[in-house]
Amino acid sequence: MLEVRNLSVFYGQHHAVEDASVTVGADEIVVMLGANGAGKSTLIRSIAGLAPARPGCSIRMDGEEIAALPPHEIVEKGIALVPEDRGIFGDLTVDENLTLGAFPDRARGAEAANRERIYALFPVLKERRRQAVRTMSGGEQQMVAIGRAIMSAPSILLLDEPSLGLSPLLCRDLFRALAEIRTQGVGIFLVEQNSKQSLAIADRGYLLENGHVVGADSAANLLADEAVSRSYLGAGEA
Amino acid sequence: MDILILGILLGGSYALMALGLQLQYGVARIMNLANGEVLVAGSFGAFWFWTGLKLSPFLSIVPAALLAFAANWLVYRYVLRPLVRRAKSHGQLEVDSILATFGMSFILVGVMIAVFGGEYFSYSYLARPFEIFGQPYGLNRIVAFGGSAVLCIVLALWLTRSRTGLALRGVAVNPTAAGLVGIDVLKASALAFALGGAVTATGGALLSAFLTFDASLGVIFTMKALIIIIFGGVSDIRGAIVASFILGIVESAVARLIDPGLTLAAAYILFIAVLLWRPQGLFGRKSA
Ligand SMILES: Nc1ncnc2c1ncn2[C@@H]1O[C@H](COP(=O)(O)OP(=O)(O)OP(=O)(O)O)[C@@H](O)[C@H]1O
Ligand SMILES: [Mg+2]
Repeated sequence: MLEVRNLSVFYGQHHAVEDASVTVGADEIVVMLGANGAGKSTLIRSIAGLAPARPGCSIRMDGEEIAALPPHEIVEKGIALVPEDRGIFGDLTVDENLTLGAFPDRARGAEAANRERIYALFPVLKERRRQAVRTMSGGEQQMVAIGRAIMSAPSILLLDEPSLGLSPLLCRDLFRALAEIRTQGVGIFLVEQNSKQSLAIADRGYLLENGHVVGADSAANLLADEAVSRSYLGAGEA
Repeated sequence: MDILILGILLGGSYALMALGLQLQYGVARIMNLANGEVLVAGSFGAFWFWTGLKLSPFLSIVPAALLAFAANWLVYRYVLRPLVRRAKSHGQLEVDSILATFGMSFILVGVMIAVFGGEYFSYSYLARPFEIFGQPYGLNRIVAFGGSAVLCIVLALWLTRSRTGLALRGVAVNPTAAGLVGIDVLKASALAFALGGAVTATGGALLSAFLTFDASLGVIFTMKALIIIIFGGVSDIRGAIVASFILGIVESAVARLIDPGLTLAAAYILFIAVLLWRPQGLFGRKSA
């Protein structure tokens, strides 16, 4: 269980995230919706140790304080991030990316099993195992990114706009894969700009505006809410 | 033909020095302008082993590598790491590390002049002819080439096959992602920097078997290593090795066909040609 309490992140004088509290359980899918510049990336990067939280904020993983740890120690606590730019090793092959994903001590024992899991989830990666990742399509790269994160044997998987740049069809496959990963006991926290599809697979959702959490509800209620649809899910379709 | 063979023999030792700089620049992201001085220090080590201790200069490789590893690790840990921590951007780190290591190169030159003096050094070891395709070549050149070929292969295998080697390549390609998969990037950088120094010093010991050197020769080797890694790619082992051979062959061709004094000029011309026509390196987009 991941518990973020009163998280604030400043860039100089600019408050990118202020006083945000979020929890993600071990077997839930939680979505955070917010517009461009709302602070979604900042919040998720700060959980992974890439953006320094203000002193006094609390980020706990299964009760243990992790707010001041560097990224390589946070992975060891069971939190893996797929960042907005995917965080893959472009010059290395698919297989090498997955092997590096299993670099944390906690992941070594289950390396072979996790690799099989990923190949079962994304068969195309098995066919392309010797290909340099930067030569792959955007959708395939996103699969490598998620695979790399799962290789770290996380309890909580963080994803920053995983559907960015994917076709609707690929998006559907991606969210199906995420739902599948959750059934294997991994909690998932994803931030998205405007994705009905993400709410459709989620249990709960948060709304982020100008760095503040302005709403929290079950995914079903958020989907049904007119105002939420208008501001977060694209008014044009509603 | 013998130009080709001489060039390949020379290129073998260049490859070692280039791999050393690649580890330091590609992985640790320190443009080490004192790289050539570390190489010359390795040459002095070999010289001293042979003339002072009466031991084979090739034996000096082991203590030279260990010493260079330790010294480079300390330099990274106590001089360069504060710069890495402070740097707000890659560009700033580049400028800071160039200035810091440029300063260090002067210190090293000064120390070597103080210890050994400023004259030219060479020694004669295994200076027997050895025939390849009916042409005689110095046995010392051939043994030096063999030594560096073995080391290059071992290093390349380690970097591609071992978990730690893969981690270093991961840091070279994407340091942020490396942190996210649990690699301690500062530790990995210190290891790469130290290892790069050790490899370079080894290259210096091998080169000294057939090259005359002096305390201030380092800067020329730094330049050559730079030319090679820009030519071959900052994080591409294969590219660096091919580029080393090309530089070795060009240099021996110019020395033989035109004038030995022009080898450095030829290297620069090669360098500028590469910058103009193939700035991304031999094998395409390879830098991180
Ligand atoms: N490194 C930085 N330095 C200064 N300001 C930053 C930095 N990174 C982000 N910001 C600012 O913080 C705010 C939040 O940015 P963030 O990237 O978290 O938004 P986001 O919700 O992820 O947006 P998007 O949907 O476009 O990805 C923005 O106003 C942005 O300009
Ligand atoms: Mg973002």
